[in-house]
Amino acid sequence: MKQHPLCTDCEDKITPMDLPIPVGLKNEWSVCESRRQFFGRFGKVLGWASLATLFGEANLRHLAFASGASSQAGFGVNNLGLPHFAPKAKRAIYLFMSGAPPQVDLFDYKPNLAVQFDKDMPASVRGNQQLTGMTAGQARFPIAPAHWPFNQYGQTGTWMSDLLPYTARMVDDLTFIKSTNTDAINHEPAIMLINTGNMNAGKPCLGAWLAYGLGSMNDNLPTFVVLQTKTNPKENNQPVSSRLWSSGFLSSEFSGVGLRSAGDPVLYLQDPAGVDRDTRRKMLDAVEAINRQTLAEVGDPETNSRIAQYEMAFRMQSSVPDLTDLSKEPESTWDLYGPEAKEPGTFAYNCLLARRMAERGVRFTQIYKRGWDVHDNVVGNLPVLCHETDRGGYALVTDLKRRGLLDDTLVIWAGEFGRTVYSQGGLSQENYGRDHHPRCFTTWMAGAGVRPGVTYGETDDYSYNVVKDPVHVRDFNATILHCLGIDHDKFTYEFQGLNQKLTSPVPARVVQGILA
Amino acid sequence: MSVAAKFVDAAGDVLRRTRLIPRVWIACICAGAFIVLLPLSFPLDGKPHGDWLQFLGRFHPLLVHLPIGLIVLLPLLEFAGTRRQSLREAAGFVLLIALATCVLSITFGLLLAYGSGEIGNTVTRHMRGGIALAIELLLCLAVRRSYAAGEQSRSYYILLTTVLITLAWTAHQGGSLARGSDYLTRYMPPRLKRLIAPSAVSSHPNSFFARHIYPVLDTKCVACHGTNKEQGGLRLDSYESLMEGGKDGIVIVPRHPDGSLLLKKVTLPPNDPHFMPAEGRTPLTPEEIARIHAWVLQGASPDATSVPGIFIAEDHEEAPPPVGDYTAFMGEIRQMQQSQGAKLVPVSANPADGLILRTTDAAATFDDAQLAKFQHFAPFIVEAELGRTAVTDVGVETLSQFRNLRALHLEGTAVIGRSLAKLSSLSQLTYLNLSGTKVTSDAVARLKRAPNLRHLYLFNTPADPASTADSGVRSTQ
Repeated sequence: MKQHPLCTDCEDKITPMDLPIPVGLKNEWSVCESRRQFFGRFGKVLGWASLATLFGEANLRHLAFASGASSQAGFGVNNLGLPHFAPKAKRAIYLFMSGAPPQVDLFDYKPNLAVQFDKDMPASVRGNQQLTGMTAGQARFPIAPAHWPFNQYGQTGTWMSDLLPYTARMVDDLTFIKSTNTDAINHEPAIMLINTGNMNAGKPCLGAWLAYGLGSMNDNLPTFVVLQTKTNPKENNQPVSSRLWSSGFLSSEFSGVGLRSAGDPVLYLQDPAGVDRDTRRKMLDAVEAINRQTLAEVGDPETNSRIAQYEMAFRMQSSVPDLTDLSKEPESTWDLYGPEAKEPGTFAYNCLLARRMAERGVRFTQIYKRGWDVHDNVVGNLPVLCHETDRGGYALVTDLKRRGLLDDTLVIWAGEFGRTVYSQGGLSQENYGRDHHPRCFTTWMAGAGVRPGVTYGETDDYSYNVVKDPVHVRDFNATILHCLGIDHDKFTYEFQGLNQKLTSPVPARVVQGILA
Repeated sequence: MSVAAKFVDAAGDVLRRTRLIPRVWIACICAGAFIVLLPLSFPLDGKPHGDWLQFLGRFHPLLVHLPIGLIVLLPLLEFAGTRRQSLREAAGFVLLIALATCVLSITFGLLLAYGSGEIGNTVTRHMRGGIALAIELLLCLAVRRSYAAGEQSRSYYILLTTVLITLAWTAHQGGSLARGSDYLTRYMPPRLKRLIAPSAVSSHPNSFFARHIYPVLDTKCVACHGTNKEQGGLRLDSYESLMEGGKDGIVIVPRHPDGSLLLKKVTLPPNDPHFMPAEGRTPLTPEEIARIHAWVLQGASPDATSVPGIFIAEDHEEAPPPVGDYTAFMGEIRQMQQSQGAKLVPVSANPADGLILRTTDAAATFDDAQLAKFQHFAPFIVEAELGRTAVTDVGVETLSQFRNLRALHLEGTAVIGRSLAKLSSLSQLTYLNLSGTKVTSDAVARLKRAPNLRHLYLFNTPADPASTADSGVRSTQ
């Protein structure tokens, strides 16, 4: 038979059976190839579909509550059966140093570097480390020792730069991790990685996971609050965005609630003139009724979050003014936090607010302080940055401790990566710059769940490579979850066919060496 | 007749009656004199002597069990001998051998003590016990002749009993020397132990020294540096004697672990002749050394309760007894969770971890009456978050019924502490927060420490003298 000119089939009929493809695919083809088979399968699928519709609702409901029903202790909004085990910490406060503080100048004391001033960084130490575009073109990598002297503090004799006189006072209460390391060398991927466990946006952050897993301790305040510190325009402020406190694929009610650093902490919280509390309540009831109707029709879970958020906002109308009213703070508070704490938006003010939220049952507070990205003028900028943050962090830990809150609160201090020991740009006796460095940086924790007075991990003589007990940021997050009673491997959420978790997908471990 | 003649007559009478041949007496007296004079010829002066003396002396533990076995066998044979004559005859032989081996053991024991230069109360007691035992055995031998003839049985029995008692006492002293004085009591149930010997380690039983330094010294060092022996003039069986040091000077220099002789000696290479513990005894573990190091660095205080950088799990993780299963009440608990107001929240997925009473949502309105409503959950509640509630001292009284309570938050409440004493009955209570209340130091003093209360917070209260200072934390230990 003559082939039709438009027919693309080969005349000699090459079938998929003749193609060099895996046998499995050929078998699949042979099952589907005939019209008879097509109709047969079509009928069955139709049958299953109709059956699913008939039993569907009951079936779906069963699935939705399966996890809660199987675990008798399931509780909280999500019936997840969390915490997995009795937690040491009920809540956490995360002081996030965005921009990456230079560990060499603050914590990681390297006395041998002083004599190597302006010497070239040995290539063997640098190894195959990728460099940023900012220093990749540099002809040489001159070593820049820390500009400030170090001293030993506390009964543990922990070395600390003179730049952090307040932190130095509490070294015995802190757990230092000198071997924290990350995968990314630029801010955005690195800050996403440490916050969400993934360099790409779209994953829930630590706070959202905690809000989802552990739920609220006070229905009148958000479970997860983000406080931003006022930026200092003289500093090199890297942007932080709401991606960092996003709930990702979790319901948006678990994302961080930002309190504004200036003016009203929450906008439009006051009822407009002439609207009293009852009127507001009636209006919200009406809105809720409409929302419920939409939910029943469309079934979008986001409608549920919206209802919850309206209710939360209503309750926050009374709880937030109480939270931010510092007039009843005793004089000892101001002695501890310093006069800066009276000015909304400062780091010290945010630390004080974090303590007040801890008292009121906020599960997770994250304070962002930007400006640590000291590519140049370290000598000029670093003292300012330390001055802005040192006292607040000290005051927070000390205040929590004296009020008995540190027994069930975990305080975390971290940036997204470290900085290089070699100078970016010109090195002089007076000044130098430091580039991004992912291989090691220093972080600390304090409080419930971790061992006080411990320094974990070691770096080499150049604070460049980890030589002992590396802690990847995934391990770091796994450890935080552990302190809050969560097994990071079991705490998953099914999304895109994967059991997603904060530390996924690369295996992570809990750092046993720093646990209490 | 002179008095002397009378005395000789009487003595002769006694001799006749006991049917002793004077030769035996002479032998006995000679043997006795030998044994008594032995320690005088080898005075224990605390200095080590010839190696060959020690070499021989070390057979003492081997030899010593021979007379022990024989002496214990003796009364058995005597009693069995009342039925069967042959056994009784054997008893005489056994007694003779026991005596001979006993004297031999004493000799070797002395060689050991003299050779190694061991001194101390226990060494002396052990030696005296051994000599007393030998003399008693000699007397037994002397009296037994008449006993075998059917006379003087009572004095023989009394002697036998004395021998057994002396044996037990001496053997115990020997055991203490070899194994340490607390060998028997170490794993004794604590209650029994307290009954027998109230601990007098330190005036601060909860101090880091008493809990973590003393036990190390006690197990690893005190066998040679204690009441039993005082090697190098050093005793390590109390804080005072530890700080006093020995012949080579002080062994602990507060804040200077590198200058502390004790730490130097235990960290030498194990084959170093000055390595401690000597003589192949169990060395200190790295962890134990780290504890001592940190403690010395911190200042070697007798009463500090914690040392930075050193974390000891048992200090913190006393496993509290599991609470009952509350799952039967789960319906009620869930209902509470879904509404506003006070709720009960499981500590974890494991029901045995108990429930938390959480009032943060409704702190302002939560009062004593509401608290009382939770009484039927009391056995399951391990933590009560009552901070900033309207709970008063009446509520505290209610709380004293919550017998599984481990943490109690009363910060910022109207509690003034009238009924704090009642909380002493809460044996699991480890955390009590009274910050920002009006409790006075008198009221707190009335809180006769609940046995496990570790963290008591009095920040910003009249009871806190340092309420304006940076550290307002009062830890009870």
